[in-house]
Amino acid sequence: MLRDITLGQYYPGNSVIHRLDPRVKIIGTMVYIVALFVVHTFVGFAISFVALAAVIAVSKVPVKFILRGLKPIFFIILFTFVLNMFMYSGEVLVKIGFLQITKEGLYTAFFMATRLILLIIGSSLLTLATRPMSLTDGIESLLKPFSKIGLPAHELAMMMTIALRFIPTLLEETDKIMKAQQARGADFETGNIFKRAKHLIPILIPLFISAFRIAQDMAMAMEARCYRGGDNRTRMNVMKYSKIDGVACVILALFVGAAILERILI
Amino acid sequence: MKKHQTRFWIQAALIAAIYATLTILLGSIGYGPVQFRIAEALTVLPALTPAAIPGLFAGCMIANILGPYGMIDMILGGGATLLAAILSYRLRKHPALVPLPPILVNGVVIGAMLYYVYAVPMSLWACMGAVSLGQLVSCYIIGYPLLKILGHYEKIFQ
Repeated sequence: MLRDITLGQYYPGNSVIHRLDPRVKIIGTMVYIVALFVVHTFVGFAISFVALAAVIAVSKVPVKFILRGLKPIFFIILFTFVLNMFMYSGEVLVKIGFLQITKEGLYTAFFMATRLILLIIGSSLLTLATRPMSLTDGIESLLKPFSKIGLPAHELAMMMTIALRFIPTLLEETDKIMKAQQARGADFETGNIFKRAKHLIPILIPLFISAFRIAQDMAMAMEARCYRGGDNRTRMNVMKYSKIDGVACVILALFVGAAILERILI
Repeated sequence: MKKHQTRFWIQAALIAAIYATLTILLGSIGYGPVQFRIAEALTVLPALTPAAIPGLFAGCMIANILGPYGMIDMILGGGATLLAAILSYRLRKHPALVPLPPILVNGVVIGAMLYYVYAVPMSLWACMGAVSLGQLVSCYIIGYPLLKILGHYEKIFQ
């Protein structure tokens, strides 16, 4: 059961997109998402689609790999599409019994589905082409200015890094606990949703105890090595903006310009 | 950094890891409109240790980074969890009320997110109701007993 889980979506590679500074990628993704809500016609979506396709092509992440990540939400997109199609009143195109498909409904259905697909592919590209560790580094660096008003930026990033590192350990631990409880006669597969939910408690309690033991040992080890938080610490990999980051920003600005022009002119 | 502060952040990190692990383990039921996230049972933890506040926030962000909805879910989901955790911490003196904030806050924020951003074509109230219902099961059926039992192990939280 636990072997089937692929952790994260990172697709290893050495493309230009992979080598971009994580900060540029995070901001770029945010801007892209906002742009998808700025545009309001299919012309705008066409521009967004071309931009996205270009980034995917440059990133060398196989399209198949991206589509596989979409599978869990495919049903939601379909559900949205079908419901939108039937929900609008207007010029009737097809009528089946009491259901009717209108021109407006069809337009809205396509419009929403396109936006949703672009939104999801666009934002998953960030995690596909960025290591989770560089992502947390990027978040730390972007949050740094807020540490002046008391936001513990370094601690938050350190915490996320440690959490990412311990997910596989805890997955293994959960597997062990489940097997141990099954050997004692625990049953996780039958009963209704409430019963099944209740049966999870004997897994959660040992998981907690074990995780808190890890925490205690780790905190002690860090204190013994004189860990004192973010000030004056040096890093192994220092993030630096390079020429390609500048180029990426220029391209991003052009895209934003196009999106705004679409909104004003069309 | 003072001595106990390191331990605070490491505990938070492990809580985040547990949250993310549970969400990943249960796969696709943890995301989407009628979501049923077992990990949300952990939202009772702020009653036991304040380290759970940043822990749940980071755990939710990580789970949503790895999930299919991408960045908006990461920011809004993380924010909702943070707010709920702070409120739960405030209510720590009344154990029966501790699971309430995650039900209400997540119901409103995630419900609204699904309605406005992902255009799930149910009414706004239905979106919020569906999310709250899933939260109700996780928080009261699993979370509340969890809180009671973990209360006996107070030592490990210090």
